[in-house]
Amino acid sequence: MKTPIKEQFLVAPFLVFFLVHSTQLGVGVLSFQRDIAEFAGQDSWITVIVSGIIVHVLIWMIYTILNKEKSSLIVIHQNVFGKWLGGLINILFILHFLVISIVVLRTFIEVVQVWMFPSLRTLPLALVYLCSVYYVVSSGFRTVTGVCFIGVIFSLFLIVTFLAPWEFSTLRNLLPVYDHSFKEMANSIKEMTFPFIGFEFLLMYYPFIQKPKTSQKWAHYGNLATMAIYLILMLTALVYFEQEHLLRTSWPTLTMWKIINFSFLERFELIGIAFGAVVVFPKMCLVLWAASRATKELFKVRQIKILVFLLSICLIGSCILKDRDSIDLLQKFVSMVGFYLSIVYIPILFLIYHLRFRMGGKR
Amino acid sequence: MKKWFRNKYNQQVQSSKKMSHTNYDQQDQSLFALINQFKQSGDFVHFYNPQSPQPFWISYFSSLIDVEILHRDILPYLNTIKLSSLEELRGALPIENIVITSDLEIIQKELFKGFVLIQFNEEDSACALVRGEIKKVRELTIAEEEYSVVGPKEGFVESLATNLNLVRKRLPVSQLLVKKMEMGKLSKTEVAVLYLEGIANEENVNTVLQRLQKLEFDQIIDSSVIAELIADNGNSVFPQLMDTERPDRVAGVLGEGKVVILVDGSPHALIGPINVVNFFSAFEDYYMNWQMASAFRVIRLFAVIFSVLVTPIYVAIVTYHYQLIPKDLMVTLVTSRRMVPLPPILEALVMELTIELLREAGARLPTKVGTTIGIVGGIVIGTAAVEAGVTSNILLIITALAALAAFTTPIYRMSSTIRLIRFPFLLFAQLWGLLGIAVAFIFLTTHLLRLTSLGRPYLEPIYPPRLGDLKDAFIRLPFSWQSKRPMFLQAESQKRFVKKQAKEKRDIDE
Repeated sequence: MKTPIKEQFLVAPFLVFFLVHSTQLGVGVLSFQRDIAEFAGQDSWITVIVSGIIVHVLIWMIYTILNKEKSSLIVIHQNVFGKWLGGLINILFILHFLVISIVVLRTFIEVVQVWMFPSLRTLPLALVYLCSVYYVVSSGFRTVTGVCFIGVIFSLFLIVTFLAPWEFSTLRNLLPVYDHSFKEMANSIKEMTFPFIGFEFLLMYYPFIQKPKTSQKWAHYGNLATMAIYLILMLTALVYFEQEHLLRTSWPTLTMWKIINFSFLERFELIGIAFGAVVVFPKMCLVLWAASRATKELFKVRQIKILVFLLSICLIGSCILKDRDSIDLLQKFVSMVGFYLSIVYIPILFLIYHLRFRMGGKR
Repeated sequence: MKKWFRNKYNQQVQSSKKMSHTNYDQQDQSLFALINQFKQSGDFVHFYNPQSPQPFWISYFSSLIDVEILHRDILPYLNTIKLSSLEELRGALPIENIVITSDLEIIQKELFKGFVLIQFNEEDSACALVRGEIKKVRELTIAEEEYSVVGPKEGFVESLATNLNLVRKRLPVSQLLVKKMEMGKLSKTEVAVLYLEGIANEENVNTVLQRLQKLEFDQIIDSSVIAELIADNGNSVFPQLMDTERPDRVAGVLGEGKVVILVDGSPHALIGPINVVNFFSAFEDYYMNWQMASAFRVIRLFAVIFSVLVTPIYVAIVTYHYQLIPKDLMVTLVTSRRMVPLPPILEALVMELTIELLREAGARLPTKVGTTIGIVGGIVIGTAAVEAGVTSNILLIITALAALAAFTTPIYRMSSTIRLIRFPFLLFAQLWGLLGIAVAFIFLTTHLLRLTSLGRPYLEPIYPPRLGDLKDAFIRLPFSWQSKRPMFLQAESQKRFVKKQAKEKRDIDE
């Protein structure tokens, strides 16, 4: 049942840092501040920290399962729930991955349409973008990891650009600290899961890591880096915008970029969007790689064929979503499903797995 | 379709088998028949000398042998000494390694190498083969493609023996092994694979040897033919083996653990495995102090990025994103472009193509005319184009700078690649502006990620990230830091020298 992956396809453990980090960062970076601030207001930065810590715990849970099982999510589900129920959950996960890819692609194209080319049609850009995804995924997991690595390295300097809005900051905006009810905070945390989604792909690529047990700390560091970036972005947005202003801003990150100017350059957000294409790309690749790999393991089909199939669905899906409302609806939906599948379901899987494992051990 | 191809392939295989079969048939006949066959060619000499003490037949290709040797070292002895057998020739002639054989295959091969065949009777099956090949080689000259200001100047020439000598004298150790083979059905080119045993990774050596052995081609005219044929991805515009004409570079990389291929008749050695960063290091970097070398490497790197991206960015910004330009700068741009009726992409394409034309014309013409063309093209056409209003001043500056920047790459093949990949970027920039450039960048990165050189990752110190190899990548750290060979090559012995001794620091006043 378990086929070990050949040595030449494995990646070094420390690359898990980049895998985790780049799959978490997506289009969410551009717009998450508003969604959180809707519930938690000036306390949103606490939400980011708390969600980050929750994800740390989840990563720990995932590793306790994986270190024993040493295989992917598909096999784990079939071992834990049996062939049929496990298969059903697997299909659910594959669909979830697929929908994530559609949302990521479509929201990115939406940003481009709003900020860069208002009359750009979705189809051509999506097609070219998915072609490059095909190019990456078809050459295997090592290349996918490479894209993740390069995506992170190239976007590193963007962090510096978030220092600029601090020139116009009002630190008073952060006061009073902890002025929200538990329910509001819980809601905001629930909202914060979407930007953090991506760590659960560990369950898919774990067998592709050399000495996988040593990679756990790198996964945690990766999540920590994501948390740090979200924290910087959140704090910057909170001190830069008035609250009402923030709630009316759809893409706070892009709006913040607007104030950067040099003697030879204005409107930095256009460059930011171009870099966004490079930042979003690894996530697309990894999600579609995971979806096609999962389908391969589940149905025993050739991954290259299923990849083409998934890419076409992704293309059709992103073309069907025409306006802001439908995109928003799907994003809310994915956010919700993501919340249940990763934040709620993973602890359940953790409990069931360890209970069964312990019982099996006794027998 | 597939079937058709396969059929064709089978036919080719069969026909090639047939050819070799007929060849063999000829060899199966007598030496006499072989000589008669050769006589059909005008440059084959076959004559009888009945006047000497022991009458003899002598045959050779006049185009391959040195008449001087024949007259000075062979004929005088044959004409004066009384020989009773071919064996005695070994004592009689002042030439080493006289072959006495009746094996037709060897005879044919040696004759084509420039040996002189000596028989006592025309029908004899045994003969003596005496070497007398002509060695006409270009004089050693300065390496022109990879010129360096400091350091050794000599470059390889078209003779394998000379080139091997240039390498061997820099590495006079027994570990330096030379594996020779003959390649090319028609050209019978001698190819040598060089490596240091115990340092070069065996896997790399075997990959090279295997690929060379599998290779089937009619003519190996230059090493670049081999470079293309054994490349991991023959469809890539990126060179996957480095070619160099500097013997010092070859000796240097052999010491690192790389494998070198030398081809007879080619002044370029092939080096592999190679990664993309190696192409941006001039060998001169090792002859300057490390701070300077590092600075120039960084400049070269920026030059490459600049060269690829600057015209596409110009097209993207002027076509779509003029908001990016601040008002003051915009004034300059607009004034410059005011008269130009063409859209930016056409303007850029015209300029880029002009520069390519100039370069191509300059490269094909003799040096003196080439310089004139450069001046005429650069000054006259440039100024005229701006005055005529076909292109803007700014773009003229940009394209000229970009062309200049592309030539900072020390390896010519890579600089051609850099000039070429600008065009897809240009088209994408016209399509989607800055976003298009990002998309083109994604494709380029993916392509580089997929590439391998002899099975090793092409983008190496960047991905897979190996911090250790960064010491000699974008910058060059001092030699005392480079105590280990690059991880990239997986050398059999990693250590170059003892790090501790190199790093030892003296106390004050000691």
